[in-house]
Amino acid sequence: MAILNSIISVCYYLISAFVVFVLAKSIIKTKNVQDAILYSVMLMPFILRILRIK
Amino acid sequence: MTDRNLLIVKLVSLALVAVALVIAGIQFHDHRNYQEEVVKGPGVTQVKKLSDYFEPLKGSINDCNIYIIDSGVPGGTAFLIGSSHPEEPAGNLTAQLFVENAKLAKGRLIVAIRANQSASRVSRPGDAYPLYYTIETPWGEKKFRMGDRWSSPLDSWPDPEVYVNYPSGQLLAYMDVRNFNRTWPGRANGMITEQTNYAFMNVIKEEGVDIFIDLHEAELEYPVISTIVAHQKGADIAGMASMLLTSTEFRIGMEYSPKSLHGLSHREVGDHSDAVSILLEAPEPFLDRVRGITDEKLLLTGQDEFVVMAGKYGLLYEKIDEKGWPIDVRVGRHCSTVLMIFELWGDFNPGKEVVIQQVPRYDEVVQNGTGYYFRDPSKAKTEDIYYE
Amino acid sequence: MYFHAGLILAVIAVTFAVAKYFKLSVELSMLLAAIAAGIVHAGGAIPVRHLVEGSFTYLDVCLIFITATFFMNLLKESGGVAFMVRKIVITFHKTRLLCLFFLTVLLLIPGALTGSGAATVLTVGTLVGTVLSYMGISEKRVAAIIFICAAMSAAAPPVNLWAMMAAAGSNMPYVGFFQPLLVLSAIGAFFAMFFLGAKGKNVELEKALKELPEPPEKMNWLRVGIPFAVLIFLIMAGRIWPFSTPTIGLPLMFVLASVSAILLSPKKLQILRIATETIHSLIPLVGIMIVVGILIQVMALSGARGLISLGVVTLPLWVLFSTLFLILPVSEGLLQYAVAPLLGVPLILLFNMKGMNAIIALSAMAVMWPIGDILPPTAVVGRATVMELKFKGHYYKDFLKTALIPMGFVLLVATLFLIFSNELSFLVGG
Repeated sequence: MAILNSIISVCYYLISAFVVFVLAKSIIKTKNVQDAILYSVMLMPFILRILRIK
Repeated sequence: MTDRNLLIVKLVSLALVAVALVIAGIQFHDHRNYQEEVVKGPGVTQVKKLSDYFEPLKGSINDCNIYIIDSGVPGGTAFLIGSSHPEEPAGNLTAQLFVENAKLAKGRLIVAIRANQSASRVSRPGDAYPLYYTIETPWGEKKFRMGDRWSSPLDSWPDPEVYVNYPSGQLLAYMDVRNFNRTWPGRANGMITEQTNYAFMNVIKEEGVDIFIDLHEAELEYPVISTIVAHQKGADIAGMASMLLTSTEFRIGMEYSPKSLHGLSHREVGDHSDAVSILLEAPEPFLDRVRGITDEKLLLTGQDEFVVMAGKYGLLYEKIDEKGWPIDVRVGRHCSTVLMIFELWGDFNPGKEVVIQQVPRYDEVVQNGTGYYFRDPSKAKTEDIYYE
Repeated sequence: MYFHAGLILAVIAVTFAVAKYFKLSVELSMLLAAIAAGIVHAGGAIPVRHLVEGSFTYLDVCLIFITATFFMNLLKESGGVAFMVRKIVITFHKTRLLCLFFLTVLLLIPGALTGSGAATVLTVGTLVGTVLSYMGISEKRVAAIIFICAAMSAAAPPVNLWAMMAAAGSNMPYVGFFQPLLVLSAIGAFFAMFFLGAKGKNVELEKALKELPEPPEKMNWLRVGIPFAVLIFLIMAGRIWPFSTPTIGLPLMFVLASVSAILLSPKKLQILRIATETIHSLIPLVGIMIVVGILIQVMALSGARGLISLGVVTLPLWVLFSTLFLILPVSEGLLQYAVAPLLGVPLILLFNMKGMNAIIALSAMAVMWPIGDILPPTAVVGRATVMELKFKGHYYKDFLKTALIPMGFVLLVATLFLIFSNELSFLVGG
């Protein structure tokens, strides 16, 4: 069970990493200045979680 | 906006976010890794690890110290834990005060200062808790981590769709799978908080604990406050302690642990072991939702105009005035209540006494301050210093 | 303390208003307001740690939101949604009321799973709208129906973001809400559908089918149903065998259900594209939740949250009962999800203290909030509705005016639930 729970936890980090990937892509692509700023802010919790800091 | 300007805005916003992440990240990292010094008191005879009672916790964040103060004289065994909820500092401060001061004349006392280490190493998003608080001592300031009610998601992720307490099957909020006082009696193959409870149950069983006390604090908006919550096995002791303390030191109530409310220590420890289980609540205005500025000052003084105003509208379950509920008052209440319960335990159970000496009572803590009772690590031998 | 907290509230309001005046989005205006308030509170410094920490407040809710919407988008892309709509139309085109009934149920599903009314509009809104228009319902009534049903789907269980956010803020388990939310949202959705859509004709089958997208040939009920069955099984397994199943969590449950949808899809799905588009389409909603978390943290830090809480809990109940039906939707229109922790939490506190049934009361509020998603300045679901349906009429004179009676009905029923929360406590469960 402990191993399964660990695997599941890893899946959540992967989901978060994917969100970061899409946000990063969106920042590069967007032509809207406000969206670019918002996307940057949205990265914060996902990055710190992936880095296992918070 | 031109493409060039857009690119500049993107780079600047990313740079600002990166700077914010570095600044905050360092603080989060330091907070999670900050070690509190505990100087082994004169009575401590052995310091074990929680993983000695449940191997899988070895090396995990929740492998806390288990301090054993043994008089060497036959008697009973008591177990005192702090930081079930690390956002309630009077609990761990009281537990540490016992470790650094208590000597036993009879029986044994086991203490865990930071029962849920993981929760003590994370702060709660959205609530703006300070990361640390400091207690004045005669030799300088002593710094402690301010923690959360729930274990860190870094140690327990994800939460279930709904948390089902083992073995009662009671449904609880999803995040309560990380709430150390909703996961009793624990589960060997559960999430880390459940495993930690399971390990504590092993301590209780293997060490033959007779009486178990879990130290807490509560917001004034919460009805279970300034009280002793007791399993039915300990109702007589709790009732008597409430009466004696109210007539001699301070007002404190007594409540029965509801039989149908599962996951809490006062219910499950009593149900699943031979120990009598008791939980203490002291008032902590810092936890009130109507509180004003959230800072270390409020945490330690318990003074808040908004909470006082809520009291005037009859919205609180405990009195409060401009003096607030200082930390020394809260720690002092816990000290006296624990001592009174142990005294009564001895009276009710001859041959199983736990006689504690050199721990201050309420008046002394209020007069001298909590910090007065902490030992100076710089003057202690290295082998006498432990880390929480 | 009062002055300080009041000053912070004023800084938030002024910064937000100025930022809006300069055409900044709601999210960025809120972010600026939070930063300004933080700086004023800290005496000129920027409370960086609090700004970053606040962004974590609704992280788990965001993940539920993202994965659930991914699941619904997969069903849409695989042709599953079109299949269901066509089947309903073909089976019930001769019995108008049954047809309306099942279309309402279909409209409730996406929002119930994702917690977002916009998800309903985007995944099934257009298709159902097409069918409704072939049932002789006017354009403005169709738009109003789609909006109310979308709002009610957001309120429907299991995922009601307002209730989840307010419950989390009050240390209250999000347990027992299923039944009251289901009753309230179903009443609202069915009333809107039958009140606005009762008169008309049976579906013009051939015309409707011609306009509805054709699902892949191999699509069938099993292929549509199994992903839902997987989802329900995973949820139930965690409840029935909690000690022998690992802790999966709602987001991964949606991902696993999505995997089954991918495997069963009769046509090859471009998973990466759909996943990317899902997150991209959700950025405004996820963005606002992250920014709301930041704002809430700064308000808690500075005492502004406490002042609002104190203001709310010291109000007489009759004042609340007679004004919440206006305050909640209007504040939703202004601040979106931010209102749940800001107003919801102190209200829960008050209701608890007054001995009311907090679950029924919060359910009632959590159904009133999404009604505000038609109101400016945000009007997220309202705007999505008119855009998706390519509505040609006037937003206020046609669309909003037509929706007013069902909106009023929902607000009335929810207010009654609020007032009689104790009498209705038998509804708590699930």
